[in-house]
Amino acid sequence: MQLIKDFVNGIWNENPIFRIVIGICSALAVTTSANNGIAMGMALTFVLTCSSILISLLRNIIPSKVRIPCYVIVIATFTTVVDLFMKGYFPALYNVMGIFIPLIVVNCIVLARAEAFASKVGPLRATADALGMGLGYTWAITLISIIREIMGTGSVFGYKILGAGFTPWVIAILPPGAFIVMGILVGLMNLITRKTANSADGR
Amino acid sequence: MNQYVKMIVVLLVISCASGAVLALSYAVTNPKIQQQELQKLQESVLKVIPGATKMEEVQKDGITVYIGLDDQGNKKGIAFPASGSGFNGVIELMVGYNPTEGKLTGVEVLSMSETPGLGAKITEESFTGQFNGKSVKDQFIVKQDVQAISGATISSTAVTKAIKASLDEIVKLYPVGGDF
Repeated sequence: MQLIKDFVNGIWNENPIFRIVIGICSALAVTTSANNGIAMGMALTFVLTCSSILISLLRNIIPSKVRIPCYVIVIATFTTVVDLFMKGYFPALYNVMGIFIPLIVVNCIVLARAEAFASKVGPLRATADALGMGLGYTWAITLISIIREIMGTGSVFGYKILGAGFTPWVIAILPPGAFIVMGILVGLMNLITRKTANSADGR
Repeated sequence: MNQYVKMIVVLLVISCASGAVLALSYAVTNPKIQQQELQKLQESVLKVIPGATKMEEVQKDGITVYIGLDDQGNKKGIAFPASGSGFNGVIELMVGYNPTEGKLTGVEVLSMSETPGLGAKITEESFTGQFNGKSVKDQFIVKQDVQAISGATISSTAVTKAIKASLDEIVKLYPVGGDF
């Protein structure tokens, strides 16, 4: 039960992009096409899960004064390993995702979950939380990138869906478009949450 | 004192373990990565030289070029790398050149990080295809003899300039009509 709660937490209540608003540098930079969004989400989920498990296992060994350097070493190691193996064994995938992999090291979600959650609970709960956070991040940036790709190029996942009569809004796939789309989505999320909270209170 | 010793030991052990894991991963993946890169290079060379089935790396005056050969060992053309800075970063290209005819035979984008939907269209055949058959004597000026991608003039110009700059070097080494 607790595990399910930890898992769902990251998907909605504490969604890293829309609610906590961390790790948005990567979310804004890579969300120019839906393929990029999904690829980045999967890579982050993998690194987040591996490092959360390891940090949770080591939580009683790492002295609190040096915990941050230890977490950073663990995260950077996993990221580099993913980078190397993908380059060697999945070159097609690496061609698409290659440039985003090193970005994971500096993604604050990974360090934030290590510090705020994985270092305080057992490996099972840490895994559930990491998977939930990863999934929450993935759906959030995929949604942003789908909207930006449709508005900016008239296609989604690289397939043209809007006809030739559609004039692309180029701003949507340029950096300002990322801020605009994300701002509107955060606003909508807040609206939905307030509505459901109000009706739950009977107001 | 004791806690300081523990701090140092833990950090040291984690760093060493990390180093060991990285060294191991590198040793395992490096031959594979090298092989993938070579294969990618070879694919691009064969793509820009029509009729070539094998390639041969040649160094001349410190410049590396790749000579494309067919099954009988006849030389079909030269491929050379070109690069230039685009809108978001470096654009790397492989260009095919036939010295006998003095014409380009193909352009392939190896890597780029241009804006998807705009500059990223430089990888599409509709853009790179226009360089096929272009003479080395052509101007290579965007919006004159090279069609720019609408909304991506910087990326289009970067590709064109990169091709022209490297081509000028290569033509000096392998003049039109000369042997290669």
